Amino acid sequence: MISINLNGREQLFDVEDDMPLLWLIREEAGLRGTKFGCGIAQCGACTVHIDNQAVRSCMYPAVAAHGKQVNTVETLGSKEAPHALQAAWIKHQVPQCGYCQSGMMMAAAALLKSTPNPSSDDIDTAMTNICRCGTYSRVKAAILDVAKEMSL
Amino acid sequence: MSLTRRMFVFGGAAIGGGLALGVIGLGTHLAMHDRLGVQREGNSKDTLLNLWLRINKDNTVTLLSPHTELGQGAGTGLTQIVADELDLNWQQIKLELAPATSEFSNGGVFEGFVGEMIGKPPAWAEHIASNAFNRLADLLNMQMTGGSASIRFTGWQVMREAAAAARQMLINAAIDKYGASINTTTDAGFVVDGDSRWSYGELVEHAATLDVPDNYTLRAKGERKFIGKAMPRHDLPDKIFLETQYSIDRHVEGMRYAAIAHSGVFGANVATINNLAEITSMRGVLGVENMGLSVAVIANNPWRAEQAVKALKITAVSHQNSDLSSASIETFQRESLQGKLSDAHSVGDIASVLGGSGETVEAEFWVPYLAHATMEPMNASAWLEGDKLHVAAGVQNPLYARVHAAKIANMDVEDVVFHAHSMGGGFGRRVGFSMSEDNPLMWIDEVVTLVKKYQFPIKLTWSREADTRQDVYRPAVLAKFSAQLDEHAKPRYWQSASYGSEGGAPASMPPYNVDNIKVQFANHPSPIPIGFWRSVENSQHAFFNESFIDILAEKAQADPIKYRLALLDKNDGHAKCLKEVAQLCNWQYGVSADGKAMGVAVQKSFGTMVATVAEVSLQNNQARVHRVWIVTDSGVVVNPDSAIAQVEGGVLFGLTAALYGRCDIENGGVKQSNFHDYPIIKMAEAPIVEVKLLESANEPGGFGEVGVPTIAPAVANALAILGKRPMRLPINA
Repeated sequence: MISINLNGREQLFDVEDDMPLLWLIREEAGLRGTKFGCGIAQCGACTVHIDNQAVRSCMYPAVAAHGKQVNTVETLGSKEAPHALQAAWIKHQVPQCGYCQSGMMMAAAALLKSTPNPSSDDIDTAMTNICRCGTYSRVKAAILDVAKEMSL
Repeated sequence: MSLTRRMFVFGGAAIGGGLALGVIGLGTHLAMHDRLGVQREGNSKDTLLNLWLRINKDNTVTLLSPHTELGQGAGTGLTQIVADELDLNWQQIKLELAPATSEFSNGGVFEGFVGEMIGKPPAWAEHIASNAFNRLADLLNMQMTGGSASIRFTGWQVMREAAAAARQMLINAAIDKYGASINTTTDAGFVVDGDSRWSYGELVEHAATLDVPDNYTLRAKGERKFIGKAMPRHDLPDKIFLETQYSIDRHVEGMRYAAIAHSGVFGANVATINNLAEITSMRGVLGVENMGLSVAVIANNPWRAEQAVKALKITAVSHQNSDLSSASIETFQRESLQGKLSDAHSVGDIASVLGGSGETVEAEFWVPYLAHATMEPMNASAWLEGDKLHVAAGVQNPLYARVHAAKIANMDVEDVVFHAHSMGGGFGRRVGFSMSEDNPLMWIDEVVTLVKKYQFPIKLTWSREADTRQDVYRPAVLAKFSAQLDEHAKPRYWQSASYGSEGGAPASMPPYNVDNIKVQFANHPSPIPIGFWRSVENSQHAFFNESFIDILAEKAQADPIKYRLALLDKNDGHAKCLKEVAQLCNWQYGVSADGKAMGVAVQKSFGTMVATVAEVSLQNNQARVHRVWIVTDSGVVVNPDSAIAQVEGGVLFGLTAALYGRCDIENGGVKQSNFHDYPIIKMAEAPIVEVKLLESANEPGGFGEVGVPTIAPAVANALAILGKRPMRLPINA
């Protein structure tokens, strides 16, 4: 049995040690905000936070998350109480198809935690998620906007 | 019933109260049928509803749109058009996706798309109309989102009429019921006559008893409050707050999961599964199914299904495609260009000037096959409920997919319920039919086949590898060009030949004033499944044409913008955008002090003229694109922010193809498999894109695809100035 603190709740999962965390999250825990894109940690659609670090869950073995705190995009915010990034995503009209944006916002949230006032280069280095619709300029503008607000 | 330019608007009482208006694309369909020579069966089948507009008693308005959402955001633009014509406030209007039933088919949009592109139905349309299953029915089963057509055709030509008619009906209701004066008008959801005000909701029941007026006026530009404004997209809050359900997120009680291995050779069946016992003993595996072109493993978790698929050892039957490679395809294309060619376009008499004096310029270009690589891989769920089959998937043509699923299931269409989901990208992949005779909806066939056998709900998800290797690809094309320069270094003739016809849309004419032009193509099919890929044939032929004109400018030692302008009429749309983009980018011809160069390209597609300049440098012999400037000229722009987003996205889509995109064919299959060997541009490599939208009173042009075609030639033309002219894509191979 694998024990994970998932979104603030201790839970036990009876899965193979090598089942990627993504599939535990989506199918065993039923949280489908985290997306499958490639399965080889290239695209970042599956980004979650493990002990506050951005991790691509599609190649992260479930057993490695044993005893750790895993937060998914579901913890970010809600329409009633949006996370600053979600509000900026609306303001900048970031998504097109929207499929990669859970991962984008989770990568951005981890970046702002570690680097509250990132430069454009910092953002380029940290944000290696793939968006096939090509929303990168708006993603960057939204992150810079949130960083500016946070520093006020 | 009221006859308008191209369609009937009709209205009546909505179920549950209120006024409902529909539009019947009668005329448009008859025209399409006539072109295709389709036999009509009586009147009932001729009437097609393009949309319902419902004005409710609570003063809200519901727009039922036939178009699915794949990232383009057209739904918001459609509500902007309706809100202006019907004179609504922005909070009043709600957008709903129309169900996948024949009442909402939009063959008229399909026809507009086809007619606009090439003037006559292409081969794939003929195929749809003439295939074994009912010719007429198939045409009526179009509920298509594609061809950058939602705003241009559904919005501007159809919904605007319905909304304008509805507004007049509400005014007429106030006059008829309350004796309002002839000066009665509307004001943001109210009918107003002096001091008297009635909400639309108060008037709808009476309006529903009136005839649709013959006369109504479309709103003038000065009366528009929403068209032309950057209204926020309706769909974004749900996407950002995880309330959008993609089909991959669909869950049904008792659901099991299928993963797929294809045979590995296009068209070849799987002969044997060599380790069946090993697979069936894996944890969670519930079944293994040889379905011909593919093998499915069903398990109680999608990862377990995929693990089992990865462990499968299968043998494909020997097939004519087994030895196919990129090299053999290129050789065949080159040989075909030496053979009998079909004429696409001809101007003047090229034979009369062949052999004249002056430098002859020749060029050969090659572009490879390309996969779509939508972020959400192909997937679908299916389940049985009573005597109904339910199918949930993200497609650009839900009605077509529903009819297709019924055929596979051998069931009546009425017994199939189709749940159309928002798509994690489309780009033409999910249109439903292809330009070859291949089936782009193979994943729907697979899940339907499995559900019929296993009876429990199944979600089938293609791995990224399966998705990359079983696409309907952008066709690989070889093209040969020649021209001869006269004493002014202008082309005396322009001759091109390219392989294939993109299903009826062969090579395009150069837009330049050349007295003798001959554009030909080798009319042979592709051995690899081909389909619609964002901007379709424009993505290859803009690269060829705009590279070749640039090569001629290079031979003439001329500034490439000035050279083009000298070959265009003063008032030509290409010239207008070229001049604008030169100004926008502060055009510099030549290599800058820091080793950068600008390249230019221009192409009209989907009703929109686009001129693009790219600023490029070479770093370690690899192209690096720093900035891109784009000017579009597209008539009325309904939502400028959405238009810019689509152009920005189109540029990156085209740039990925220009720099990296290649699907190599090896042993009858695609070699590339995932983002490590089929890379997509990331943020760090994305250039700064500046877009300027020119507007006019003309009908709106499309935006979903128009950013794609010009970026590859603009980058190539910049590289030529840096001394490295790419004749083959991708550039950073």
